[in-house]
Amino acid sequence: MGGETKYEIHQNAYIKLVLHALKHKTSAVNGVLLGRLSGDDTVEIVDSVPLFHSQIGLLPPLEIALIMIEEYYNDKGLSIVGYFHANERFDDFELSNVAKNIGDHISKYFPGAALLLLDNKKLEALPKGKDRNPVMQLYTKDASRSWKLVGSDRLTVKEPSANVILLDFISSKKWKDITDFDDHLDDISKDWLNSDLFN
Amino acid sequence: MVSKTEEEQVNRLESQVENGGGGAWEYLCLVRKLKLRRSDKVLKFGLSILNDPKKRSALGPEEWTLYEEVAVAAMDCQCLDVAKEFTKVLQKKFPGSKRVGRLEAMLLEAKGSWAEAEKAYMSLLEDNPLDQIVHKRRAAMAKAQGNIPLAIESLNKYLEIFMADQDAWRELAEIYVSLQMYKQAAFCYEELILSQPTIPLFHLSYADVLYTLGGLENLQTAKKYYASTIDLTGGKNTRALFGICLCTAAIGQLTKGRNKEDKENSQLQSLSAVALEKDYKQRNQSKHSLLTATLKSLKLS
Repeated sequence: MGGETKYEIHQNAYIKLVLHALKHKTSAVNGVLLGRLSGDDTVEIVDSVPLFHSQIGLLPPLEIALIMIEEYYNDKGLSIVGYFHANERFDDFELSNVAKNIGDHISKYFPGAALLLLDNKKLEALPKGKDRNPVMQLYTKDASRSWKLVGSDRLTVKEPSANVILLDFISSKKWKDITDFDDHLDDISKDWLNSDLFN
Repeated sequence: MVSKTEEEQVNRLESQVENGGGGAWEYLCLVRKLKLRRSDKVLKFGLSILNDPKKRSALGPEEWTLYEEVAVAAMDCQCLDVAKEFTKVLQKKFPGSKRVGRLEAMLLEAKGSWAEAEKAYMSLLEDNPLDQIVHKRRAAMAKAQGNIPLAIESLNKYLEIFMADQDAWRELAEIYVSLQMYKQAAFCYEELILSQPTIPLFHLSYADVLYTLGGLENLQTAKKYYASTIDLTGGKNTRALFGICLCTAAIGQLTKGRNKEDKENSQLQSLSAVALEKDYKQRNQSKHSLLTATLKSLKLS
């Protein structure tokens, strides 16, 4: 994939990830990005699935989740195109090894995979400014096969009003309604697709 | 660590209070007893009692326990003015109290005045070197500052003295997992299983860590601990059932071409698969076909 790939994330996918992080403020959370190639140089992130909020470094729940998620989305013509991570601490901007390893695994199947890291400072500043940019940092794999932070201009949200909607959801505490894969494994009647979230 | 019934009880009470059905004091006592972290609700409900003089006096001597509980919750929610105010109230009532002194140190911690908080904690420890809460606050401070090696060191030192503290072992295990130090995490879970062999969560986490470590021996042991989890939970633990399937698939991969799988092994896998199928059919019909496909890919892989 070319060095200047752009990533465009759909509003719902974006909002789900941030709400998930807000639901579990005291722990790290992660999620996968689903999407497709669009044109020569853009990856469209169409949807996301929040994964876990505890013991993120363990394989068994991750393996089950990835199999099920792939199974579901392949039918829809989408594949796993990236990974989202939010660190436990507010001022921690380091990309953990767990995140990099999962990113590596995803890259094997989708070479232009994106790694998104929640930017807590941007998230905190959201109500004060009119920032339309996603409150995430974008990492991609460079030629040396390591994850590098790239310019924020390469990650955009498809709908320009996404942050406005996000702020709305935050004030109405919408994060209470988010279900992740951890919740599903604890109670399989819970829907990790969050199909009713935006109704 | 709470059971499902306990958690449901708390949640029910919580929505009851939220919807004006009363029971705030009951909720606050339950949260305190179960050591849950629901600071936003504790703060909200606690303030509703403490700011009402009638409700406050109805508490009698428990009033002070509530001040303490709400002060801590306020710190967690970064409402430092409330925390400071309530700490002052307690200072006035119990001058020279070490318990209040601890609260003052926590307030410094909440403000981010790490050095001052450390000094305060150290002086509290001088008077009482066996104060478990203060020891753990120091480890928590290290973690909050991002000094994970110090947090690990503090927890290890703490556990040398207080080796029966399950919470500390679990916290240490989780820190190790986040750093992918799985062997060390496994050790923590081994300690927990030794001291509390009938708690399924420890068996499950241990199995998860062993599976993550990989290698034939670890996978075989992991399978045993998924099995014991199933035993201890009456077959209701979805994660353990999946764990059996994952282990069987992984072991199969590693022993390809060697002697055929013994009957017992594949029996366990099919029993788990059947249990999962039944469960999904009953409780999440829409995801049932996904489950079937997942199990299929595990049997083949």
